[in-house]
Amino acid sequence: MLRVTGGTVYDPANGVDGLVQDLYIANGRIVDASAIADGARTIDATGMIVMPGGVDVHTHVAGGALNFARGLVPENQRAARKFLHRGDRRAGLGGMTPTTFATGYLYAGMGWTTVNEAAVPVLSARHTHEELHDIPLVDKTSLVLMANNEFVLDLLEAGEAERARHVVSWLVWAAKGYGIKAVNPGGVEAWKWGKNANTLHAPIEGYKTVTPAMIIEGLATIADDLQLPHPVHLHCNNLGVPGNFATTIETMNVLQGHRAHLAHLQFHAYGGDDWTTMRSESARVAEAFTANPTLTADAGAVLFGDAVTITADGPWQHLLYQLTGRKWGNLDVENETGCGIVPYVYKDRNLVNAVQWAVGLELLLLIDDPWRIFLTTDHPNGGCFWRYPEIIHMLMNAEFRREQVQQLPEKARQRIVLADLDREYTLSEVAIITSAGPARSLGLSRKGHLGVGADADITIYPSRPDHGFLFSYPRYVIKGGAIVVEEGDVREVVDGKEFIVRPACDERIEDYIRPLFEKVYTMSFANYPVEIERLRNPEVVVPEP
Amino acid sequence: MRASVYKSPALKPRIADTFAEAFDMRAARVVITAHTPGWALTAARSMTGFATSVIGCKVEAGIEAELDPAETPDGRPGLSVLLFAFDAAGLGQRLVDRVGQSVLTCPTTACFDGLPDAAERVAVGGLLRHFGDRYQSSKFLDGQRYWRIPVMEGEFLVQESFGVQKAIGGGNLLILARDQAAALAAAEAASEAMRAVRGVILPFPGGVVRSGSKVGAKHYKNLIASTNDAYCPTLRGRADVESALPRDVNAVLEIVVDGLDRGAIEASLRAGIDAASLPGVVEISAGNYGGKLGKHHFHLHELAR
Amino acid sequence: MLRLTLQETPSVPLEADVLSPDMLAPLTIEAIRALPVYLGKRQRRLADFFAVGGEAGDEIEIHGDLARVKWIGRAMTRGVLRIYGDAGMHLASAMQGGTVDVFGNAGDWLGAEMSGGVIHVRGNAGGQVGAAYRGAPTGMRDGVILIDGAAGLEVGMRMKRGTIVVGGPVRDFAGLQMKGGTIVLGQGAELRTGAWMNRGTIISLQPIPLLPTFSYAATYNPTFLRLYARRLATLGCVLPYDERQGSYQRYTGDAAVPGRGEILVWRPNG
Repeated sequence: MLRVTGGTVYDPANGVDGLVQDLYIANGRIVDASAIADGARTIDATGMIVMPGGVDVHTHVAGGALNFARGLVPENQRAARKFLHRGDRRAGLGGMTPTTFATGYLYAGMGWTTVNEAAVPVLSARHTHEELHDIPLVDKTSLVLMANNEFVLDLLEAGEAERARHVVSWLVWAAKGYGIKAVNPGGVEAWKWGKNANTLHAPIEGYKTVTPAMIIEGLATIADDLQLPHPVHLHCNNLGVPGNFATTIETMNVLQGHRAHLAHLQFHAYGGDDWTTMRSESARVAEAFTANPTLTADAGAVLFGDAVTITADGPWQHLLYQLTGRKWGNLDVENETGCGIVPYVYKDRNLVNAVQWAVGLELLLLIDDPWRIFLTTDHPNGGCFWRYPEIIHMLMNAEFRREQVQQLPEKARQRIVLADLDREYTLSEVAIITSAGPARSLGLSRKGHLGVGADADITIYPSRPDHGFLFSYPRYVIKGGAIVVEEGDVREVVDGKEFIVRPACDERIEDYIRPLFEKVYTMSFANYPVEIERLRNPEVVVPEP
Repeated sequence: MRASVYKSPALKPRIADTFAEAFDMRAARVVITAHTPGWALTAARSMTGFATSVIGCKVEAGIEAELDPAETPDGRPGLSVLLFAFDAAGLGQRLVDRVGQSVLTCPTTACFDGLPDAAERVAVGGLLRHFGDRYQSSKFLDGQRYWRIPVMEGEFLVQESFGVQKAIGGGNLLILARDQAAALAAAEAASEAMRAVRGVILPFPGGVVRSGSKVGAKHYKNLIASTNDAYCPTLRGRADVESALPRDVNAVLEIVVDGLDRGAIEASLRAGIDAASLPGVVEISAGNYGGKLGKHHFHLHELAR
Repeated sequence: MLRLTLQETPSVPLEADVLSPDMLAPLTIEAIRALPVYLGKRQRRLADFFAVGGEAGDEIEIHGDLARVKWIGRAMTRGVLRIYGDAGMHLASAMQGGTVDVFGNAGDWLGAEMSGGVIHVRGNAGGQVGAAYRGAPTGMRDGVILIDGAAGLEVGMRMKRGTIVVGGPVRDFAGLQMKGGTIVLGQGAELRTGAWMNRGTIISLQPIPLLPTFSYAATYNPTFLRLYARRLATLGCVLPYDERQGSYQRYTGDAAVPGRGEILVWRPNG
C-alpha cells in the first residue's frame, strides 16, 4: 500500500490537468482513499509532477531481428553503458540495441512502464517472448507481422476474406501476440524476388491480383472484424523515399473508414523527387491525417547521432546499405517476412538527415490533437528511446527548437517549416503523447491514466524549469504499486506482464493451415505455435464479439 | 712571386666601406640521393640548370653540399640543393617542375625534404604522385608521407611535402682587378671558398657574374635591368657615365650568394673576401641600391674584421 | 617510480585497466591501493592482489605472473610501463602514447586499436596483435609493436597505419583485411597471409605460402625500405635491404578485394 501526496497530477484521460491531488495504491492498482490503511508508506510529492507511466507504442526491443542487430554491431556494445550485476539487478549493456535486462532498467529509469514490441515474425515469436520474458519493470505487448505472410496473401488473392480472417486470428494467437503489424505490404514479399512494392494498386511480385492496397484494406478489415484492441499497425509502402508523402496520403484513402495506426509517420512525409531535392511535406500529411479521424500515428522522430536501423522492410534496407556503403544484415523469414539491419548515423550537416529531423517535430506540432499522434523514435531506427526527453524539450520550448534549426545548413532550412511553428506543448499534452494516447490506442484500459482501477504505473518528476532535463530524471517510478526507481536508481526489480490477445477463431482453420504448413515450412507444425508457458505473467485479452 | 706579395700587407686589396644589399626570399632544400654520387650529381645539375636569377628564370638554385651516406635519409650517397624564390607558392611550383623533370626522370634517385623543421610546407610528392596514374602508393613514417611512384626502372621515392623557410637572396661581392686574368683568378678562388659554406648557394654559372646589372635602364623604357655602367671599365671617362671604378681597375667580376640566414651569408662573404685577396685585385666592394630596396645589409668592413 | 608486485595469482582473469600511467600517476599510494579491479564479476581492491610500493609517477613496474591480468595499460597516453613477467590479454589496448616493455609473453589482443606509442614484448604474443576488435572497421591506427618471439592468428588485422615487427613465426591470417601500415615477419607465417588486404606492406624475411589471389610483380630493392630499416634500427630491429645481400620479391594483392597491398618476400643472394 502506498500514498502519493501533494503532487501536481496530470491525468488527461480523466480530465485532470495539473491539480494537486493525492493518489492511493493497493494491490498494484490505484484505489480510493478509503481502501488505504494507516500504515501505508507515503511519498511526499509536494512540488513534483505526477504522470501516468510512459507507454511506448512502437519500439524494437526483443526478438530475432533485434538480436541479429546486436550481433552485427559488437563495437556498439563495447561502447555501451554497462550495467553491472548487483543484488537482484542483472548485468547488461545499454547503447543502441540494449540487452534484455538493461532494456527494462533503461525504460523504467526514464519513467516508461509499458512497451509495445512492434514487429514479431510468427516463426521466431518464441525468441521474442523469451527476450520479453527477461525485460523487467515494464509491461509488454507485441505485434505480429502479417502483411507479407504468404498464407494470408494467397487467401487475399483467392478472394477468401473469411478464411483469411481465421488464419490471421490463428496466427496472432499462435504467436501469442497482441495485434497485427503490417510492414511495407507486399514489398517484403517482393523482396524475396529482389524487388519491392512501390505502387499501391499494382499487383505484387509473384501474384496476379493482390496489391498492397488490398493487403492494407484486407488486414484493416480483419482487425476491425476481430475487434482487436489495437487497430492494424501499418508501416506504409515507400518508407524513406523522397516524394513518399503521396503514397502515405493514398494509403490513408485506402484506409477510409477503417481504424488504423500509422507507424513512424516521419519516415513517410517527404516531398521532392530525389535525395538532392528532398524536402518536408509534413503539412500535407498532417492535413490528410487530421481529416481521417479513425487514424492514429506515432512520430518516429529522428535525433542526430548514432542509430541502428532495424526493420522488416528488407528492400528499403538494401537501398540504405547502398547509400552508406557500410554494414548490412539481411534475413529472410520463410513464407512470412524478412528483416534488414543497417547501422546509421544521422548528421546535422547532412541535408536529408536535417529534413528528417525537422519532419518528426513538425508532425508532432502540426497535428493538433495529441490523442492521435504519439511520441516515438521507432527505436532504434530514428534514435534511442532513452533520448525521448530531448524531443519533449523541443516540443515544449519553441526558442530552444529554433536555435537548433538555426544550426542546420542553410539549404536544409529552406526545405522545412519547423522554424515557423510556434506551438509549445503543455505538460498535459506531453502526458497524452507519451502515455494516455498510446494506452488508449493500444486498448489498454488500465494504462495511461491515474483513475481508480488503473494499474499503479506512476512516474513522479521533480519540477524544474528546464523541461528536457525534467523528463530525463524521474524522482520516483512506481510499477504496479512498487517503487522501482528512486532518484534515477533501480531500487526494486519487479516483473512486468505481457498482454496477449485471443481473437475469435474457427478452430477448424487448423485443418487448412497444417497441410499447407507442412508442405512449405522447414519447421514441424507442432513446434510452430508458442507455448503460453514461455511467457512471463501473460494476461490474455479476449475481444468482445 | 705570390709569396713575396703576401709579405706586404699594403698590397692586399682595399675593402670598400660599403655594404651588399640583399632581399627577403623563401628557400627550400632538396636532398637528392642515388645509387652513386655521380647519378645524384647528374640529377642535381639538371635540376639546378637555368636557375641563375629569379628575374628571368623564376628561381635561383644551386648545389649546396655533397652529403655522406650517413647524412641522407636512405643511407645512400647524395647531395643537397637549395632553391630560392620570392614566395612559397612560386617555390612550390618550381619544385614540382624541377623535381618532376630532372629528378624523377633520373635513374636510381630518391628525393627528400631538407627543411624538416620548417613550419610552412608545399606539396611536391603530393602533386608528383599523379604521374603514377593511380598505381602509386605511399608510406607514412614518423609523421611524414613518402610517395612511391612506379616507374620503368622500379620506384621513385619522393617526400610528400617540403619545407619552406624565410631566406636571403642577393648577397654579393664585387672584385675590382687590374686585368681580366686577375679578376678571374680571384673570382674562381672566392667562388670555391664561398660555396663550401653550408646554407648557401651561388646561383650564377661557376658562381660568378661577369655582367653585373643595375635596376632599370637609362635609355630603354621597360627594361627590368641593364648593364651596370658605373662598373664597366670601357665606359669610364664618358661624360654621361659616372664611373665608380678607380683608375687602375680594368675588369670587375661579381659573386652573388643566396643563403638560408644571415649567418650563412656572412660566413660565405667572409670566406669570399679572404679568398679573393689575391695579387691584381685592387678593391673588393659590394653592390647595393642605397639601402632602399633590400632590408638585409652586409657591411664589408664588419665582415672583414 | 611505482612498483607493483602480484602477490597472488588470480583464480579467474583479473581485469585491471587501472594499471596505466594515466590512472596511477596522479594518485597517492593509498588511493592506488583502493582502486577497483574486477575478479570475474566481482569488484575488488587493487591491494587485494598487488603489493604497492615506491612513488606514483609516469614510470611503473609490475612484477609477477600476470598472464591472467587483463587490460594493463589500457588507453594510456604517456609514461613508461615495464612488466616483469607474462601479461594477460588486451595489454595496451587503445594505447595512444608512452612505452610498454614486457619481459615475458603477452596474451591476445596486444595493442588492439592502438594509435600511438611503442610496445616491446621480449617473449611471444598471442593473436590479434594491433587488430580491430570484432565489428570495428579499423585496428591499429599508428604506433609500433615489436615482438621478439612468435605471435598468433590475425596479426595486424584491419590495421590502418603503424608498424608491427615479429621476430618469431606467426600463424594464419597475418595482415587480414589490412588497410595500411607495415608488418615485418621475421620468420615468416603460416597460411593466408594478407587475406583481403586492401593496402599496406607485409615484409617476410622468409618464404611464405601465398594465396592464389596474390600475383608476382618483380624482384627489386625498394628504396623506401632503407628508411624503414633505419627507423627500425633505432628500435633494435634489423631489416635487410641491401642488394649486395639480397632482394625482395614483390607480390601484389589481394585481388579478391581488389586490394593494392604488397607482400615483399626477402630472397638472400647466393
